[in-house]
This record gives sequence, structure tokens and C-alpha cells, in this order.
Amino acid sequence: MTFLDRTTDARRLRHWEGDIEADYIYTSGIAGERFFVALRDEGRLLAARCESCDLSYLPPRMFCERCFSELSTYVDVPEEGRVSAVTIARVDRSGEYLATPEAWAFVTFKGIHGGLVHRLLVEPERARAGMVVRVKAKPRGERVGGITDIEGFEPASS
Amino acid sequence: MTVRNTKWPGVELSAADLHEGKVTSTRFRPDAKYAWSAGEAMSRFLEELQAGRLIGRTCGKCERILFPPRMFCEECFRPTDEWTYVRDTGTIETFSVSYLDKDAKRITEPILVGVVSLDGASPKMGMMHYFGEMTKDDIHIGMRVKAVWKAPEDRRGSVLDIEYFRPVREGES
Repeated sequence: MTFLDRTTDARRLRHWEGDIEADYIYTSGIAGERFFVALRDEGRLLAARCESCDLSYLPPRMFCERCFSELSTYVDVPEEGRVSAVTIARVDRSGEYLATPEAWAFVTFKGIHGGLVHRLLVEPERARAGMVVRVKAKPRGERVGGITDIEGFEPASS
Repeated sequence: MTVRNTKWPGVELSAADLHEGKVTSTRFRPDAKYAWSAGEAMSRFLEELQAGRLIGRTCGKCERILFPPRMFCEECFRPTDEWTYVRDTGTIETFSVSYLDKDAKRITEPILVGVVSLDGASPKMGMMHYFGEMTKDDIHIGMRVKAVWKAPEDRRGSVLDIEYFRPVREGES
């Protein structure tokens, strides 16, 4: 063994295995709370508005990134958005292969700064940037105030 | 924190606010696993302990026998060269008479612990361990000792596969 050799698999040697307990609860924050409560209770998407900069932020934030003023006005995001980018996911978040690939999209809305990443509820081969989509929310009773209250984006025409 | 500030900006939340769902939040448990390895040298050392042997590493440049084994010679700053067994007899280099157990609890019968330099390794190379079959009045620096091994089926590949070091008996080397 030289200085340049590296042990890359600890399990080849005497080793001890364990789990790192790193559970967390991450609160949505003041602007995030407004967003998720409106989504959960009314199925609405809110953006935070800065009048002086003529900017509406999605997801909403507490401060304007341009003029640093505190934001307290919220406006509705248009129902229809536009897919600006797509990707096809073949593995889930723990790296396991999905039974069927899923389309994911970044969706932007007219007059709104920012956007949302979520599932695109079409066959992966039909997923295209430029599609006009709308939010498909879960039924009211299943919504808990999280981003998964949205099932995904579906084509606006359907 | 200063005395003048009594109120802080922001929203105070209690654990109950989170658990009762008064505010929205994201919960997650990362799948964070680890495997901690003893390393090349220590792994072999532990395997050999389970087999009832003590092993070291030689450095061909300074001609020392390093015990416990390591893959690099800290004197020559080069990789060590070969595996070599050392004996399970040695000499007490230093010791303590401890009236605290390993949980720092007070005890009346002292535990004897210390460092043994092992025969076959370079001078002062050895290991820390318990001493047994001797009293706090018998123990002394320079005392000749020998390892008392656990039964093969009870060994786990641990430094505790040796129970303790006892005095070398008459006629033993």
C-alpha cells in the first residue's frame, strides 16, 4: 500500500455500521406559511408582490430581492402556466429505479418572477417545454399544507 | 443578547405548535448510513487478535517493528513493508492503580491498567491493557507479563480478546 492507495470500501475491512439520526422539521416561514395555507385551504397559488419594483415572487418571499423592502401583499398566480424546462426522472430520491419514468417540469407564469418545479402529468414522451399547463391539486381533504398538496401540472386544455 | 433587547423579531414556535400542525412544515429523515472502518492495519490487527496472535508491521528503512501495526512509518514518512508477529509477553512500561471503573464510578478494589511493551516489537512499542493476578503492591514498572487470552469461541476481534496481562511465571520466558 502506498500513500496514493485509498480504501474506498470500508466494508472490505473490519467495520461498524450505523445510521446518522438527522431527522428534521423545517418550518415554511412567514411567506411560506401564507403560500401553503392558501394552497391547503383554498387550492390557490399565491405570489408575494413588490409594488415599487413591479415584481411578484413565486414561491413568495418576505423581502424583495431588488429593493430589500418587506413584502406583505400577496397576489394570485395565473391559473395557466408555461413549461419552461422538462426532465425525465428514472430513479426516485433514494436512487431506486422507478417502475415507469416520470416527467418533471419547471413551470413559469405570466407576470410572475420565479416558478415551481413539480411532476408533469403526461406520458414522458409527450413532455415538452412550451406546454401550457395548470396545477392539479389533491382533493381538499387530503391536503396537509405541503408542496405535495399539488399532484402535478396537467395540460391546460384537458 | 443585550439587556436592552427584550423582544426579538420573528415568530416564536413551541414544539407543540409543530406537533399539532399549527404551522406548516416539512419533515424528513435522511437515509444517512455509514460504515466506519478500522483501516487496513487495525483490521488485520483485530483479525489476528481473534486468532490469538499479535501482529506488527516492519519498516525496512528505520528497521523498527511497529506495534500496533500501521501502514505508514511516522519516522521515515514512507509506507511500511511487511507483517510480522510479535510475542504475547512483555514488560510493564507504565501503570495506574484506578479507583474509578470505566464508567467513572468509585470502586473499592482498584483496577490495574497500563502499557505493556511487547517482546518482538521495537522498544516502547506496545499496548494499553488491564493487569491481573497481581495486587497494587506487586505491580511495578519493568515487571514481566504475559497475555491471558479468552477462549477462542469468546473472541470477537477486539482488544478485549485478551482478558488481561498476568505476571510471567517461573520457568516461562
